[in-house]
Amino acid sequence: MENVWTIENVWNAIGMALQNWLAGFLPAWLVTLIMDLLVIVVLLAIGIVAVLILSFLERKVAARAGDRYGPNRWGPYGVLQPFADAIKMLIKEDIVPHVADRFSFNLAPVIVTVGAVMTYAVLPFGRNMVAANLNIGILYFAAVGSLSIIGLLTAGWGSRNKYALISAFRSVAQLITYEVPLALCIICVVMLAGSLSTQDIVLAQQERGWFFLLMPGIFILYFLAASAEMIRCPFDLLEADSEIVAGHFIEYSGMKFALFFLAEYIHLFAGSAMMVTLFFGGWLGPWLPSWLWFLIKTFVVIFVFMWIRNTFPRIRIDQVLKIGWKVMVPAGLVGLAITGFVDKLIADTLIAGVVLFVCNIALIVGVSYFMGRAQRQKEMAAEGAALR
Amino acid sequence: MYGTGLLKGLSVTLRHMIGTFVTDVRKFPRRYFRDGVHPTRSPEPYLHGAFSIQYPEEKVPMWPRFRGPLVHLRDPETGQPRCTACGMCERACPHGCIKVEGEGKGKERKPTLYQYNVGRCIFCRQCVESCPFNAIELSRFYELACYDKDTIWDLPRLLELGDKEEIKEQGQFWGET
Amino acid sequence: MSVQIPPTERLRTDTIQINMGPHHPSTHGVFRMVLTLDGETVVDLEPRFGYLHRGIEKTAEERTYVQNVPFTDRLDYICGITNNWAYALALEKLAGIEVPERAEYIRVILGELTRVMNHMLAIGFLWNDLGATTFTPVVYAFRERERILDLIEMAAGSRMMPSYIRAGGVVADLPEEFMPRLQKLVPHLKRFIDEMDTMLTKNEIFRARAVGVGVLKAKDAINAGVSGPVLRASGVPYDIRKVDSYSIYDRFDFEVPVHTAGDVYARYLQRLAEARQSLRIIEQAMRDIPEGPVTSLPYKQLSRLKPPKGEAYGRIESPKGELGFYLVSDGSNKPYRFRIRSTSLLNLTLLREMCIGHKVADVVTILGSIDITLGDVDR
Repeated sequence: MENVWTIENVWNAIGMALQNWLAGFLPAWLVTLIMDLLVIVVLLAIGIVAVLILSFLERKVAARAGDRYGPNRWGPYGVLQPFADAIKMLIKEDIVPHVADRFSFNLAPVIVTVGAVMTYAVLPFGRNMVAANLNIGILYFAAVGSLSIIGLLTAGWGSRNKYALISAFRSVAQLITYEVPLALCIICVVMLAGSLSTQDIVLAQQERGWFFLLMPGIFILYFLAASAEMIRCPFDLLEADSEIVAGHFIEYSGMKFALFFLAEYIHLFAGSAMMVTLFFGGWLGPWLPSWLWFLIKTFVVIFVFMWIRNTFPRIRIDQVLKIGWKVMVPAGLVGLAITGFVDKLIADTLIAGVVLFVCNIALIVGVSYFMGRAQRQKEMAAEGAALR
Repeated sequence: MYGTGLLKGLSVTLRHMIGTFVTDVRKFPRRYFRDGVHPTRSPEPYLHGAFSIQYPEEKVPMWPRFRGPLVHLRDPETGQPRCTACGMCERACPHGCIKVEGEGKGKERKPTLYQYNVGRCIFCRQCVESCPFNAIELSRFYELACYDKDTIWDLPRLLELGDKEEIKEQGQFWGET
Repeated sequence: MSVQIPPTERLRTDTIQINMGPHHPSTHGVFRMVLTLDGETVVDLEPRFGYLHRGIEKTAEERTYVQNVPFTDRLDYICGITNNWAYALALEKLAGIEVPERAEYIRVILGELTRVMNHMLAIGFLWNDLGATTFTPVVYAFRERERILDLIEMAAGSRMMPSYIRAGGVVADLPEEFMPRLQKLVPHLKRFIDEMDTMLTKNEIFRARAVGVGVLKAKDAINAGVSGPVLRASGVPYDIRKVDSYSIYDRFDFEVPVHTAGDVYARYLQRLAEARQSLRIIEQAMRDIPEGPVTSLPYKQLSRLKPPKGEAYGRIESPKGELGFYLVSDGSNKPYRFRIRSTSLLNLTLLREMCIGHKVADVVTILGSIDITLGDVDR
C-alpha cells in the first residue's frame, strides 16, 4: 500500500512507516506479531482514554442538567478529575469478603473488561481504520459484546451477597432478552447493506443514505435494545442503586471496582460507536477527516445517552422483560419483514428508501398506539381503586 | 401519543443544561459571584441557570438574624464584659451547654468562669432571650469545623469573637433591643 | 395477610431474606425492612424502626415548656415550622393563650411555604427511589427548597431548626425584606411547580412504574390512622385545615384536592395539587396580613409559664399529615406528659400491606411515596 501523508490518513501512515522501518531489520513474522500487538495496545489505550473522558463527561453532563457545575477543582474546569479518580481507585484497599468465592470473585472483573475491550477490534474508526476488517464484523460484535453477561453472573455469584445475586439474575434475564431485538435490528441493517462487515455497512450508507433516515423505527428499537445491552438508563436495573444498592459490584473495591467501571464505559463507547456505524453513516462526512467525523458522531450519541440518564427513572424488571418480549421482539420481526420485502421487491433505491421510511413511521405509530392504549386501560382501572 | 411525556421531560433537562451555560457566559470572565449577589440571594428568582455556591471562594453572607455561636458583648465605656454571672442563661439552656460561676454582689458581680460548649449548643437563642443584662448575643459566624475537640469556649474567646463579628447590642435585628 | 406461594409442580424455589437497611440508599434514613423475596416478588416485609430513637418524649418531661420548642424542630426535620406550630397550638390550648392576628398570618405563610417545600422534596425523592440515577428532579427540588429555607432563615435565624413559632405568637416580627422577596418567590414557585409537572407527570416510565403500585384502600387507611396526602390520595377528603379548622384557615379560600386511585401515582398528583393550593393560601395571606404585635407572651413570661392542671391536644395538618402534641400539665413549669402523635410512624404502619405482592423495586417506590422522615418515625 502506498504511504500517503494526509490528515485523513495520518494514523495509517504512521503504522505503515513503522512497519517499513521494522521490516528493515526484523524477520517478517516478527514484524506482523509486533504490529498486531501494537494495534492491541493502541485499542486498549483508546479504551482507557475514552473511559477517562466519558467519566468526566458523565459527571459534567449530570451536573449541568441539575443546575450545577460538576467537578471543577482539579485543573481548568476540572479536566484532571478523572486522573484523580483513577489514582484514588488504584490506592484503595482491595477487599475480598471472606465468605466470597475467591476464584470467581477475582475472575469476574477480568471477564467483563476483556469482553468489553474485544469489541473494539471491529469498530471502523475511519476510512481503512479498523483493527480487524472481519467479514462477519457485526456478528463478532454481538457475540463478544454479550460475553460480559458471564462476568456479571460470576461477580454476582462470587460476591456472596444477596443484592449482587439479584443483580446477577437480572443481568441474565435482561441481557438475554435484549439480545433478540438487537440481533433483529442488526439483521435489518445487514439486509440493506448486503454485508456483515462494518466497513461495508458504512460504505453502503454512502450509496443509500444514512440508515437512521431510512429506518427510524428500527433505529428506535436498536437504541432501546442497545441501552439495555450497555446497562444504561432507563435499563440500568443491574446496578439499580436505589433498589439493590450497586448490584453486582457491591462488594468490589479498589482496582477491581475500577475494572467494572472501565468495562461499563468501554461498553458505552463501543455501543455508541456501533450505533453510529449502523445508523449514522459511520465515518462518512464532508470536509473533516473521517476519524474525526466518527468521533464527533459517537460523542453526540453518548451525550444523548447521558441526557436520557439524567432525565428518566428506571424501568422495573418485569416491565423490562415484558417490553422486551411482548413489544420489541414482535416489532423487530415486523420491521424485519418490512425491510425484507421492500429490499427484495423494489429495485430503485430512492423509492425503496421512501417506502421503507413510511413503513417505519407506521410501525412507530402502531407500537406507540398499542402501548398507549394498554397504559390508558391500566390507568382507568386504577382510578378509584382505593375506594373499592 | 405514547412517548411524548418522555420527550417533554428531555426538553426540560436540555433547557436546564443550556441555562447553566448561559449564566456562565453572562458572568464571563469571572468564575464566581464575587460581588455578593448570590443565586439564593438574588432578588429575582430564576428557573434556569447554575445554582452552585463555590464555597471556599464565594461565601454567602448570613442574614442579620442568623443564629451562630454565642458571643459576649462589652460595655462600650469600660470595655469590660457586661455579664454579671447571674446564671439566667445557664438555666435557660435546654442542653446545659453553658456553665457560669461568678463572685461579688449586685452590680459588682463578675464572672470568674464562663464555659460555653459550642459542640453541644443547638443555637436556639434562648440564653440570649433570657439574659436580663444585654450581655450576650448569637453571632453570624458559621465555620465551626475543627480538627480537635476544642469545643469549650471561655469568656475571653467569646469576647474576642464578639469583637470580630462587631456585635454591639443584643437583639438588634430581632425587633426588640 | 401474606401472599401464599402457589405450590408449583414444576419448580420448587426457596425464598430469600434481605435486610434492606439500615444502611441503604433509599430508606430515607436509618430504617430497616426485612424482606422475604420469592425471586423478585415481595412475599413478606417487616419494618424495623427505632435506630434514630432519641427519647424526645421523655427528655421533654425534664425541660420547661419553652425549652421544648427546639426539640420539636428535630422531629420532622424537613418541616420544622409546622412542628413548632403544633406544639405551640397544644400549649396555647393548655394554658389558654391568645395569639395576635399578625402572628397567625405569619404562621400560615411560613407553614404553607413549608408544605410546598416538603411536597416538592417528596416528589424529588420519589424520583430518586424510582431510579433517576443522577438526582435531577431532586436537585431541582432542593434548589427551590433553598430559596424557601432562605426566607425562613431570614425570619427565624436558622434554615431547618427555626424554633420560630412559640406559644403566644412568633419569636419576632418578619424582617422588612421578607415580604418583597416572598412576593417574587410565589409566582416563581408556581412556575417551578408547572415545570415539575411538565417534566414528570406525563412521563411514561413513571406512569408505568407508579400506576397501580402500592394501592392503599381507604378503609384500611382510616383504620390505621393514616393521614395527610397519603390518606387523601386514597379518596378520603380529610384535611384538618377544613374539618377541624385551627388558626385562621377558615378565612382562606382553598380546596382540598382528592385522588381516588390510592397508588404511588395518585400520591404524587396529590402532592402536586396540594402544593398549588398552598401557594393560593400564601397569596391570600400576603394580601390580607395586618400590622400589629406578633406575640402575646414575650419570652420572659413564657419561660415562667405554669399552665393550670389539665391536658390538651393540639393538632395541625402538617405537610405529612396530622401532627398532634398531647400535653398533660401538673401545674408545674414542666409538662407531666409530652406525647407526640407523629405522622410518619402512623403512615408507615401499612407499609407491609402495601408492598406485599409487588417487586423489590416497588418497595422503595412505595416507601418514597409515603414520604417519611425518620426523625419523626423514631423520635
